[in-house]
Amino acid sequence: MKDNHVTEMDTELIGEGVGFERIRRITGYLVGTLDRFNDGKRAEERDRVKHNVSCCSMSDSQSA
Amino acid sequence: MVDGIIKRDGRSVPFEIEKIASAIFRAAQATGGRDYQMARHLAELVRETLDADPETTTPTVEHVQDVVEKTLIENGHARTAKKYILYRNERTRTREMNTRLMKVYEDLTFQSSLENDIKRENANIDGDTAMGTMLKYGSEGAKQFCEMFILDPKFSKAHREGDIHIHDLDFLTLTTTCCQIDLVKLFHGGFSTGHGHVREPNDIRSYSALACIAMQSNQNDQHGGQSVPNFDYSLAPGVAKTFRSLYRDNLGKAIEIYCEREDGLETGRQLACRAEEALGSWPCLSDANGFDAEIVRLLAEQYDSAPAKKIAAFTRKHTVRETYHATHQAMEALVHNLNTMHSRAGAQVPFTSINYGTDTTPEGRMVTECVLIATEEGLGNGETSIFPIHIFKVKEGVNYNPGDPNYDLFKLACRVSAKRLFPNFSFLDAPFNLKYYRPGHPETECAYMGCRTRVIGNAYDPTREIVTGRGNLSFTSINLPRIAIRSHGDIDFFFEDLDRKLDLVIDQLLARFAIQADKKVRNYPFLMGEGIWIDSEKLGPDDKVGDVLRHGTLTVGFIGLAECLKALTGRHHGESPEAQNLGLEIVKHMRDRMDEESQKHKLNFSVIATPAEGLSGRFVRLDKEKYGILEGVTDRDYYTNSFHIPVYFPISAFEKIRLEAPYHELTNGGHISYIELDGDPTQNLEAFEQVVRYMKECGVGYGSINHPVDRDPVCGYTGIIGDVCPRCGRREGEGVSIAKLKKLGLYKNLNAGTIGYHGDPFEEKDRHPNKV
Repeated sequence: MKDNHVTEMDTELIGEGVGFERIRRITGYLVGTLDRFNDGKRAEERDRVKHNVSCCSMSDSQSA
Repeated sequence: MVDGIIKRDGRSVPFEIEKIASAIFRAAQATGGRDYQMARHLAELVRETLDADPETTTPTVEHVQDVVEKTLIENGHARTAKKYILYRNERTRTREMNTRLMKVYEDLTFQSSLENDIKRENANIDGDTAMGTMLKYGSEGAKQFCEMFILDPKFSKAHREGDIHIHDLDFLTLTTTCCQIDLVKLFHGGFSTGHGHVREPNDIRSYSALACIAMQSNQNDQHGGQSVPNFDYSLAPGVAKTFRSLYRDNLGKAIEIYCEREDGLETGRQLACRAEEALGSWPCLSDANGFDAEIVRLLAEQYDSAPAKKIAAFTRKHTVRETYHATHQAMEALVHNLNTMHSRAGAQVPFTSINYGTDTTPEGRMVTECVLIATEEGLGNGETSIFPIHIFKVKEGVNYNPGDPNYDLFKLACRVSAKRLFPNFSFLDAPFNLKYYRPGHPETECAYMGCRTRVIGNAYDPTREIVTGRGNLSFTSINLPRIAIRSHGDIDFFFEDLDRKLDLVIDQLLARFAIQADKKVRNYPFLMGEGIWIDSEKLGPDDKVGDVLRHGTLTVGFIGLAECLKALTGRHHGESPEAQNLGLEIVKHMRDRMDEESQKHKLNFSVIATPAEGLSGRFVRLDKEKYGILEGVTDRDYYTNSFHIPVYFPISAFEKIRLEAPYHELTNGGHISYIELDGDPTQNLEAFEQVVRYMKECGVGYGSINHPVDRDPVCGYTGIIGDVCPRCGRREGEGVSIAKLKKLGLYKNLNAGTIGYHGDPFEEKDRHPNKV
């Protein structure tokens, strides 16, 4: 096929029902996907906040 | 008139007075009674009471037992009645546990892991598979068996109620936790896996394959994991052997090409042998022994017309290239194998860790570089590999500063970790690690089991403060928040109660050690039978392992220091310096006690910052039931890991590191600190490296940096994915058209039904729109 016309196969969708994989670290090791986490760990993962690295000493900012 | 009894399962059986008489007699015997006739007489009285009941002629077992109790008491047999009641309660508890166990089995059988938390207790066991479920049947049954029949009731009560948590209770009677494997020693002369013997490896590819097999074999002898503490040093001999053999081949090929000889290969081999004899060493990557020059000399001597220098140059060039290629392949295979091979009846991949980064020989450096590159490349479809856990050992003068021989590898480690979450970083300059370090002795470089366990000091034998052949025996964690809740702010009470819990845990660890020590070498065909564990090679198959196990650690852990401080002072250690001081005092108190016990028993008692995967939810669930919702203490579904600053608390990376570092020194049985980075750290490697360096400067022992690693299995994109995949534009669960994947150059049509992408995301530059 040389032309760019869309074939029947091309309009076919793939990946329906396929989720994204989200790899996270738990006790020092990684887990392939959050599905395998137990309830406590899932809750913990949900609550995690990011740690700022823009400045070396920020003790004033958070410890109020 | 009584004519039958309804049993608990609903069946009706004939009434037999003898059964009642003998139950009463057994209770009487327990208090010293010997009069069976009296028992028989009391049983008759029971029957009379039952007969007098107009309601029924077939009472239930429970009702009959109530009548027996009443009859005994009314007839002045109080002590016998007491025994009878105790016996009855015990039976009830056993029955309830059996029922509970069957209920657990029912849930394991008929619920998926989505519905069943037990199936997800340990994230690296797939609880949905046949073997994974079988493993859980065994595990849950063993836990109840140990609780009921093995543990001293005071330990099982404390465990059941959640004062303490005895980890790996299912393995209480069976084995120990983990071990750091010395591959150099194991490979010497070959070894047996318990299912067959293998020869000493002679090529980096066999080194890598056998390293995997060793870890897999060991995984079945212990309930924890296994690490290779000196991965680079251990596999470097494989690189050297591969180099030697490729050198001979390439020398032969060069001779065939440049001298136009047919028998080049044989000539090359002979020449290399002569050079080895003359120099007393092999050809090697650095050529520090002048091997090439010796070859040139021999060639000139033998064939005066040969272009000796060209031959030597050809040989070196191709040998270096091919050795690198072989090492890269070997490391790629290792990463693939360790993510795919089975252990424990197929339920788990072996739990493996490798430590590296300090071997400065060209061979060791090549191992480190190749294993990092293989990890960066990922698995088959560009997936991030889960095992092994990589730990890069950071050491000043070796790899930390520009000019250090392995500084390039440290930079590479940062780059790979920024993409793949591994390696983690351990710090040999932390004072508590540095004190064991002896240059030239890799076994004195502190290593970590990936999960965080640390074993190096040795109170049992201070001349053997090394990592190899040793590991943790067992550990038990203390519920710190509960002690704090019960203290109602009274610090003195807190420390008194903590002491009581420490007493309990020490006794329990010793009782468990007594069971472990009684085992024989034949119970651990690989760990002990192949001499993996220190000094086990000196034992025969029927010797007990007690003495050699004394090199292992007995460890007390803790969870929820943050919630504990919150309950005691209203603030956690991220919020107030006073709380931080108290936190340090608490952990130091535990450590001092463990040091004391180590000296007293000549055993390695240590303190670990408990990993607590399964435990994080359990303690808080129990404490919520007992004490209700307490703000900042029991108001979440988990207790904060060990000494960590709570994950929900906003704090800068540097402040978090600074506050957590002093706990690393105190927790000699293991520790880790995490930093959560926002965004894609591969775009800001400088910040990533800064965090690692700050950990080192603050005296952290072991740390790692978390960042989101998401992957869309349809287009293969790896990175951060919010709601929409930035490459193919689909949302979770949505389909994407094949036309679009083709346009993006992603469609390879290998498994069109489900997944469009089959390739390597590092081949971005080779990617171009598919021709239609």
